[in-house]
Amino acid sequence: MTAATTPGAATRLDPQPGEVIDRTDRFAFTWNGVEHHAYRGDTITSALAAAGVRVFSRSFKYSRPRGILTASYLDPGCTVQVDDEPNVRGSHRRIAPGQAVTAQNVWPSLDRDVKMANQAVGRFLTAGFYYKTFIKPQRLWPTYQRVLQRFAAGGTAPDTAPDRLRYDKRYAHPDVLVAGGGPAGMKAAVAAAKHGAKVLLVEEEHELGGHLRYGDTGDLDRLALLRAEVAASDVEVLTDAVVAGRYDGNLFAVVERSAPGLTERLTKVRAGVAIVAAGLIERPYVVEGNDLPGVLLSTAVRRLINLHAVKPGNRAVVLTANPQGDAAIADLQRAGVQVWAEDARAGGDIVRILGRGGVVGVEVGDGRKVPCDLVVTATGWTATTSLLNMAGDRPVYEPRIARFLPSQLPDDVLVTGGLAGDDDLDELLDHARAAGELAAERATEPGSVRGAALPVRPIVDACLPALPLHDHPAMFRGPTHGFVDFSEDVGSKDLAAAVAEGYDSSELAKRYTTATMGPSQGKLETVNAVAAVAEATGITIGQAGTTTWRPPYAPITLGALAGRNFEPVRVSPMQPWHEVHGAAPLVAGAWIRPDHYGDPAAEVRAVRDEVGIIDVTPIGKLDLQGPDVPNLLELLYVNKWQKLDVGRVRYGVMCAEDGVVLDDGVTGRLGPDHYLMSTTSSGAAGIWEWIENWLQTERPGWDVHVTPVTTAYASMNLAGPRSRDVLAPLTDVDLSADAFGYMHVRTGTIAAVEDCVLWRIGFTGELSYELHVPAGYGLHVWETLLAAGADHGIRAFGVEAQRTLRLEKGHLIVGQDTDGLTKAGSAGLGGLVKLDKPNFVGKPELVWQQEVGVTSTLVALQPVDPTEVPPEASQIVVAGRTVGRITSSRRSPTLGRGVCLGQVPPDLAAPGTHVTVRLPDGRDIVAVVQQHLAHVDPEGARLRG
Amino acid sequence: MITLSCPWCGPRNVTEFAYGGESGARPDPATATPQPWRRYLYTNANPAGPVTETWLHRAGCRRYLVVERDTTTNEILAIRRPGGAPSTSARHATTGRATEQRP
Amino acid sequence: MAGAGRGHGNGATNGRSPRYSAWDLARRGLTGEAWPPAWRKHELRPSYDVVIIGGGVHGLATAHYLAANHGITDVAVLDKGYIGGGGSGRNTAILRSNYLTPEGIAFYDRSLELYRGLAADLNFNVMFSQRGHMTLAHNDASLRTMRWRAEVNKLVGVDSEVIDPDEVAKLVPRMDVSSEARYPILGALWHPPGGIIRHDAVVWGYARGADSRGVQIHQNTEVLGIDVVAGRVTGVQTSRGAVSAPIVVNCTAGWSSLISDMAGVEMPVHTFPLQAAVTEPVQPFLDPVVVSGTLHVYVSQTDRGELVFGASVDPFASYSTRGSLEFIEGLAGHVLQLMPSLHNLRLLRQWAGLCDMTPDYSPIMGPTPVEGFYVDVGWGTYGFKAGPVSGEQMAACIATGATPELIAPFALSRFAAGELVGEKGAAAVGH
Repeated sequence: MTAATTPGAATRLDPQPGEVIDRTDRFAFTWNGVEHHAYRGDTITSALAAAGVRVFSRSFKYSRPRGILTASYLDPGCTVQVDDEPNVRGSHRRIAPGQAVTAQNVWPSLDRDVKMANQAVGRFLTAGFYYKTFIKPQRLWPTYQRVLQRFAAGGTAPDTAPDRLRYDKRYAHPDVLVAGGGPAGMKAAVAAAKHGAKVLLVEEEHELGGHLRYGDTGDLDRLALLRAEVAASDVEVLTDAVVAGRYDGNLFAVVERSAPGLTERLTKVRAGVAIVAAGLIERPYVVEGNDLPGVLLSTAVRRLINLHAVKPGNRAVVLTANPQGDAAIADLQRAGVQVWAEDARAGGDIVRILGRGGVVGVEVGDGRKVPCDLVVTATGWTATTSLLNMAGDRPVYEPRIARFLPSQLPDDVLVTGGLAGDDDLDELLDHARAAGELAAERATEPGSVRGAALPVRPIVDACLPALPLHDHPAMFRGPTHGFVDFSEDVGSKDLAAAVAEGYDSSELAKRYTTATMGPSQGKLETVNAVAAVAEATGITIGQAGTTTWRPPYAPITLGALAGRNFEPVRVSPMQPWHEVHGAAPLVAGAWIRPDHYGDPAAEVRAVRDEVGIIDVTPIGKLDLQGPDVPNLLELLYVNKWQKLDVGRVRYGVMCAEDGVVLDDGVTGRLGPDHYLMSTTSSGAAGIWEWIENWLQTERPGWDVHVTPVTTAYASMNLAGPRSRDVLAPLTDVDLSADAFGYMHVRTGTIAAVEDCVLWRIGFTGELSYELHVPAGYGLHVWETLLAAGADHGIRAFGVEAQRTLRLEKGHLIVGQDTDGLTKAGSAGLGGLVKLDKPNFVGKPELVWQQEVGVTSTLVALQPVDPTEVPPEASQIVVAGRTVGRITSSRRSPTLGRGVCLGQVPPDLAAPGTHVTVRLPDGRDIVAVVQQHLAHVDPEGARLRG
Repeated sequence: MITLSCPWCGPRNVTEFAYGGESGARPDPATATPQPWRRYLYTNANPAGPVTETWLHRAGCRRYLVVERDTTTNEILAIRRPGGAPSTSARHATTGRATEQRP
Repeated sequence: MAGAGRGHGNGATNGRSPRYSAWDLARRGLTGEAWPPAWRKHELRPSYDVVIIGGGVHGLATAHYLAANHGITDVAVLDKGYIGGGGSGRNTAILRSNYLTPEGIAFYDRSLELYRGLAADLNFNVMFSQRGHMTLAHNDASLRTMRWRAEVNKLVGVDSEVIDPDEVAKLVPRMDVSSEARYPILGALWHPPGGIIRHDAVVWGYARGADSRGVQIHQNTEVLGIDVVAGRVTGVQTSRGAVSAPIVVNCTAGWSSLISDMAGVEMPVHTFPLQAAVTEPVQPFLDPVVVSGTLHVYVSQTDRGELVFGASVDPFASYSTRGSLEFIEGLAGHVLQLMPSLHNLRLLRQWAGLCDMTPDYSPIMGPTPVEGFYVDVGWGTYGFKAGPVSGEQMAACIATGATPELIAPFALSRFAAGELVGEKGAAAVGH
């Protein structure tokens, strides 16, 4: 017989007073391809349990059949695939019409799983068995590994991206956040709101109420009153949402699982004060057979009966140690289930649970075997201390109640409800009210500021009365060994074995057995695991201590964490023109710019022969004003700046304090106290901060005002022998060589646009004008220049052509021809570095570099074979060892041959030296070190024309 | 996420700020020898506890700030303008304790 | 005990851990006989020849190789918590050797070689999975750096090559290689020898290996001070009493500058948290390790089906390992930029470790100005990869008194000399 479905084993009961299903709304869905029906309000497993389904998964290691255990989000054996969504918590997720639900990780089917053979060999698969085998021969390990991967738990990730927005984020800034919408949380929230606080109340289940929801009619009456109080208050309520983490500064991650139209929404909550009222989780009992389908917690049967009107079995054995178990007995009896009660408080116990595919009986404490199809345990509680732990709490084990209690918290976190202690509902609600009022007081205190990292204090100082504690027997393991971690298939015997092997602390045993590492995140398992380790090592649970709870408390989808992608893209005002004219996009940090317009070599030739124009808007631009600008330039550049006349432009290089080249660019003097500095595109943001850092922290007395104007101007470079002819008719600036020479700056009007800045500089090596025009007119000026240049053969060129042009000219690119260790002395700067200046940033290291001699230097290289173009990063080798590298290379359209820049050691730097270059395809070629860095026009005649 | 109380802008998320590292005294570059200079470049006190460091309010006022912070708890002990006396303190609390270290 | 010593003849003598084998696993499965401890507990002795501070992979490997390669067995490994509780248990267990400089490559390649033989060497399956390591390039600058690494790697004999987006898509079918991506993938550095390993198993394997050769492992033993007399180390003060030793080795991570301070040795180290996270398991779909420097993320899938994510270190220095929400938000965003179909995978757990960053992204290894005080620190985000070779070379350094060639570039003295290691040349490539 297969146990996957036992028709008649469970059936739908008559309407229950607290049921959450809507019997007027019945719909179909499929489970492993078979159609079933559900009522609105059913969870996946409640609907299937009502149809007699008992097995929902196969276990990770031994492939044992697993059914409902907790009937909550934590249910370890009820994780299923829903359509393309893996790992759905079947005992929490409400089923929707038409959904296809399938069992995960079962091959070929849930009923017949070939891995079930593992059950037979389970005795050999003890904790950590894989560390002790598959060692030799090593060549077989990859094969073993493929077999092990077959056991990977979990569903199947989708292979396509969502076609619409399915995730979102929002922020919330409540005065008081209440985690947990049980009676204590509801009361605390209402009290805080009445005290004038803005309150957010978050409940993981689908409705407020906690355990009252599946309680008796008295509980339901109390619940109705509490719900009415919440409804009448200003409290914002989120249900089917969970406080998933507490972070520094009282920041909380709240995951909403049923936000309208979305799969998940992440709400980031900066709370004034948080009240943790997360309540208690019922702890499974460790005993042989405790994972069989048909073994349920008392809260699980109460949920099934009272919320979903599902009869969980016909004959039950109930082990009860507390009133919740007693209530489960009453519920079962009311539902027509025969009950055999074992009262732990009177010495009752369960020795082992019998059955293979499901429960068939129980051996009880006195040795009798009681036939049954349902086993219910009510043996104690686990305090959900995760959020408190994340806030700095170190929970302390209290043997009297057999659970952990909080011990220390910062002032912006309070705790109430079952986490704080036991008592009758009225007293619990009084405590919660006091907590709510205190939280409101602290959060709304004038002058209180959120987001501080507050120190923790002993909880006795928290100004809340301590709740009494009700004795509870310490029941962790029965007379036999059973499972501790259901999702990882780890038993108490495994933990004992791990301890015996030396893994004798909670952390080591946990890591060795993987107990608590699975999808239920240890919430169900940790305390039983600690108890097993404590038992094996002969210490108390208190001494063994709990493990560190790490966020998140509940899993969060990557989609919700990511939210929408708000990564900005920057484009120049000329981008519409580029797009129309077929520009190939180049992603350069935040910028998208034209790489080329189809034929970069032709673009190069246009610049050399006629005229070209390039959009250089991303170049960093800083407007510097004030009498101390020359001092600033003198401090930050390696060359001299005191004697820069108005109307002049100079090239400069900046170094960091370790002498490494940081950035380069030109700076022009527009007026007596007015300069425009340019930086590399990628350095724009950093150099602005670099300058401000020196001004604000080191030279606060200097009078310099820095304004970033990178995007205030649209920048374009008009380059080529006919650039003057194109520009002259469009500007009021006299462009004649005498009036506006090389390395000069002018301001004026271009294409009727005023306040433009014109630099006569030449990165490309040609006569060229760099034009900075107010950004709003960028496209106009660009198009006007192109129109005016049409007769001169003008052509737009992109970054690729510019790189080729500058390489032909031997101009370095910081970060390409230099690297993170290249000091100025190795950058081919020649006499630019003025070590005779009294002081500049980086000078000490550069002086010492000159004293000991450089280890590498930048040179121009040309392959002997003109057809060779060694790819950038090709290595320069001597006797098979790398001594340098090609930093830049292109085929030069101008020279019709390969041209390069490279870093070489000093003994290979002399002009005429032959070096060996190892190409990526493994060939070696010879290249010759050139006299000048410039391959084209080393004298600069074209620039100065 | 902690907040830093910017003396110019008030309390803001730490993600608005850029960390600049420990504030160390620079030897006089005119007279420095390699040993102390490289100690200045490369060595940090790196304490587990209070440390004085430089931050930039990058997504705010763009001012550089001197921050005293406990590196074990990330508690902000004081924030001030460079070179000036403490102008604000982050030892604020939601409990209504008097804020300390005000100028 | 029947069969306990069968096979290799070094059975449960002196309480040492017996040889692991499938045969013995089966026998014990049938007889129910328990495995003895993999390492033993000891009283702390008043003196040792060598005291190693830090029971992570570096400390335990150093102890193991001191005993195995040099016969130095009077060694104590002290850890303030449990073994492998620091960086060794918090890293993302990625192995590779495709560094930038010949020195770096040779060093990490030796580590990979030791890792390949480690299971057999230690008789402990460390589950090294050589599934390949892929570093994506999203712009031409990083493509150039990948080429640079590939070319130097090839010269040193390490298998690394630059591949194009089509090959990337073939190796990782869920990867978005479209040119519409915000940061389009232009290529990748493909390093077939790289992979992942079970990090805890490496720690335990070395602990068991060291223990079986007589090394004493002392957990929950915190070092409170280091005794230095006239410029040489004489011992340590611990939470369990004083221990004298002529040689003390600092093999800590996260606390290395604080430990070195105890000996009066200043370290160019700055401690930053490094966060990581793991998802729920899904069926295997991702074979190689995938790294994107531009997006600050690395991803691998374990044999268990979980995706393990890492990133760059936190934006500011701290000794706090609490982790942050903004980290997992950014991480998820970057993962989905690479593989948009993973939107409904759930993040299960996040954690943080401490990384001792140095100015040149390279460790600090060897002797210090205090005689007898050695360091193996400054391991940044790459310490786990180097565990075996560091142990081997540090052991040789200690045993012979001479610094081996493989670790000579990483001497503490390089900072004062201004001779930083060239890995900084391609800064922030990472993992």
